[in-house]
Amino acid sequence: MWFFGNDTKTENGETLKREQEQVSNEPSKRSEDVSSILNTTDFDPSKLHPLAGLDKDIEYLDLDDEKLNSLEGSSNGILASRGWGDDMCYGAGTVYVLGLGLGGLKGLDEGIKHLPHPKIDPVTSALRPVPFKLKLNTVLNQVTKYGPHAGNNAGVLAIMYNIFDSSLDNIRGKHDDWNSLASGFLSGALFKSTSGLKAISISSTLMTIAAASWCGLKRLISRRGGRNSFGA
Amino acid sequence: MSTPEADHSRDPCPIVILNDFGGAFAMGAIGGCVWHGIKGFRNSPYGERGSGAINAIKARAPVVGGNFGVWGGLFSFYDCAIKGVRKREDAWNAILAGFMVGGSLAIRGGRRHIFNSAVTCACVLGVFEGVGMMFSRYMAWANKPVAMPVPDGPGSPLAA
Repeated sequence: MWFFGNDTKTENGETLKREQEQVSNEPSKRSEDVSSILNTTDFDPSKLHPLAGLDKDIEYLDLDDEKLNSLEGSSNGILASRGWGDDMCYGAGTVYVLGLGLGGLKGLDEGIKHLPHPKIDPVTSALRPVPFKLKLNTVLNQVTKYGPHAGNNAGVLAIMYNIFDSSLDNIRGKHDDWNSLASGFLSGALFKSTSGLKAISISSTLMTIAAASWCGLKRLISRRGGRNSFGA
Repeated sequence: MSTPEADHSRDPCPIVILNDFGGAFAMGAIGGCVWHGIKGFRNSPYGERGSGAINAIKARAPVVGGNFGVWGGLFSFYDCAIKGVRKREDAWNAILAGFMVGGSLAIRGGRRHIFNSAVTCACVLGVFEGVGMMFSRYMAWANKPVAMPVPDGPGSPLAA
């Protein structure tokens, strides 16, 4: 079965287990069971090979130090950052998926609200039921109308925010909340820059509030010790 | 401290989907800005070329970004899912993921359209993977280690 990968591991495991049971049934060899060796109290993987870093839990979540973002305060407490591109990809991706989901929910609501009504048949004057496919199509049309629209706008805002944020970081040489607030303001202003002063002020205010709440969320997470959970 | 081979240019699987969504979206949105900016500029009458370019960017670049983002994110999602099921990483993962993405994006077009789109996507991904494999083989062949030259015979100074 090439599709599901090779199953030899489990088979080996089963056969091993059976052998172990046979071995452990013999009273003389009971003390030399594999589990008894592994469960001895002084077993320490770091003593096997001290340079290999075997004592770590989940090693693949670590990143090399020199590949990490070296700016002051650039760790957001959730994931280690490799630089502005990584930040932008994660930011845009998360916000885009959130916008897509929320917009899709709104579209679902709209679609269910505006389901087609059954019509009266002119010949028999009975109510003609709406076919299921028509209902499904109505709902799906609304979902695909609202979902990508919200997602696209949110994703574009996130890209703008991250570009401003990393530019400000590199100009000022550190990453702090003021940068986030300023880049939220700037990205909100740029987003509505062609629709007049009132729209600009509204959208930049909203984006500043969003940036502030993101800063608060970061602080909350890093205070709870999330900083250490993903290494770096 | 991390080991030298712990060079992970990509994150582990469930999280990397978000990264791919964002990366593909950003690529599409920024590329769409360039593309539709030029297109809007060229297709506008003289005197309104700047505003035409901006309007085209505003109207179409996010849509291009969204299309790219959905494609890349779905591809990453299926790639991770297939990796999780098959527990191995080879070219078939990308081809199967391409098949699933093509099918998913055409899900509203009927059975025939779904199948055609899925097969087209799988073929495109297969070509990508094949070209990548050929390229890596060529690089391995071009950079293959060269054996040391054998000294000539008793007459050479090294053989003394």
